[in-house]
Amino acid sequence: MITRRFLLSSTAVAAFTVPARADAADTAQSFIANLARELIAVANGPTSGADKQAALEKLIDRDVDIATVARFCLGRFWRTATPDQQRDYGALFRAVMVRNITSKVGEYKGVTMDVGKAQAREDDVAVSSVVTRPGNAPNKVDWIVGTAGGAPRIIDVVAEGTSLRLTQRSDYAAFLASHGNNVQALIDAMRAQAAGKS
Amino acid sequence: MRLSLRPMLLTFVLTGVMLLGGCATPPPADDPDAVAEFKENNDPLEPTNRVFYAVNDALDVVILKPVALGYRAVVPSPLRTGVHNALSNLGAPLTLANDVMQARPARARVTLTRFVINSTLGAGGLFDVATDMGWPAHDSDFGMTLAVWGVPDGAFLFLPVLGPSNPRDATGFGVDTFALDPWGWIGKGDTVKDLRLVRTGLSAVDARTAVLDDFDKLRAQALDPYATVRSAARQYRHRKVDDARNDVTGEALKKSP
Repeated sequence: MITRRFLLSSTAVAAFTVPARADAADTAQSFIANLARELIAVANGPTSGADKQAALEKLIDRDVDIATVARFCLGRFWRTATPDQQRDYGALFRAVMVRNITSKVGEYKGVTMDVGKAQAREDDVAVSSVVTRPGNAPNKVDWIVGTAGGAPRIIDVVAEGTSLRLTQRSDYAAFLASHGNNVQALIDAMRAQAAGKS
Repeated sequence: MRLSLRPMLLTFVLTGVMLLGGCATPPPADDPDAVAEFKENNDPLEPTNRVFYAVNDALDVVILKPVALGYRAVVPSPLRTGVHNALSNLGAPLTLANDVMQARPARARVTLTRFVINSTLGAGGLFDVATDMGWPAHDSDFGMTLAVWGVPDGAFLFLPVLGPSNPRDATGFGVDTFALDPWGWIGKGDTVKDLRLVRTGLSAVDARTAVLDDFDKLRAQALDPYATVRSAARQYRHRKVDDARNDVTGEALKKSP
């Protein structure tokens, strides 16, 4: 009896959830495919380095859920930070991220990106891709897409199994551990990074 | 005689650990978040590891990085690719041995096919025609074999010269280098010894050159490079082991349209 009822209900659940999940996967995949086209157009475009950086920055603001990533990277210290510190940290996180991504835009010339399958997971979708730079072995890059705010946005990038947000969180946690868990010390260090003294 | 080097390395590491007397202090038990973080880092030898990290970093700045930069500046790209391909082809028998010990048929078939194709059509391994034909490379080593057999990685270790590791992978490296690699048994005499040294040296330079931009950027952008390397290296390794477990083959090069 239990089995039959269980089967029936689980079929019903599956009937409703599978299309939704498949939708999420499709949406995420076309979102990443679209971004890939734009990224490659910017990287290989004829414009100057400064123009490319500005174009990249726009794409980052549009397609990366920076606030969510920033909060994740601060981990348990987000709760102990004051509202002012949270605000400063959030702004600096964005500044450092933009700087890190855009500063080497010249190196991305000739890059290609093949977007592969999308896999719906518990709270997000992983879109696989292979990124190839001239003279380098192809890299497997997974784009983790969240839809918390409605529109799909990137919440993590996993390059060859290495999650950028997890690695970043380890970095901050270790820095905080050696600076008396003082969030202000982290903010000051990030301010130096954003100003280009990294 | 070769095998005796592994205990030697182990003794060296253990002596170093004891000399430096470094053990990380666990956080107080009433701070569950800090305790969770401490467990996740799984780095009880952190103070010692950091010393070795600093030593390696210094060696890198003085020796390996300048050599890699010079290599990249002087040797034209096609030749560097040829060297990389040849080294990779020399590693194929060892890769195959590990694929087989892991009982991973798809990966073993790819490795064997690659070795046959590249050793013949690829002019003794100088050209990686196998990848172009749809047989892309993957890594396989005895650390991964141990993982597939169910051996956990253990605490983080930062080893002199070898870099980020753990007891399982360090053991695997020793077994690969001193026992499993057929190029270690074939031939004898001074010429063979010299060739082995050349191969080791070229491998180091080739590997360092490959990460000149990415790895250096990762370190430059970190507030605590040691912790960043620890996290990144461990995640990278977990993925390699997962790929071996699931018999995933390498990434095929897509022809650009």
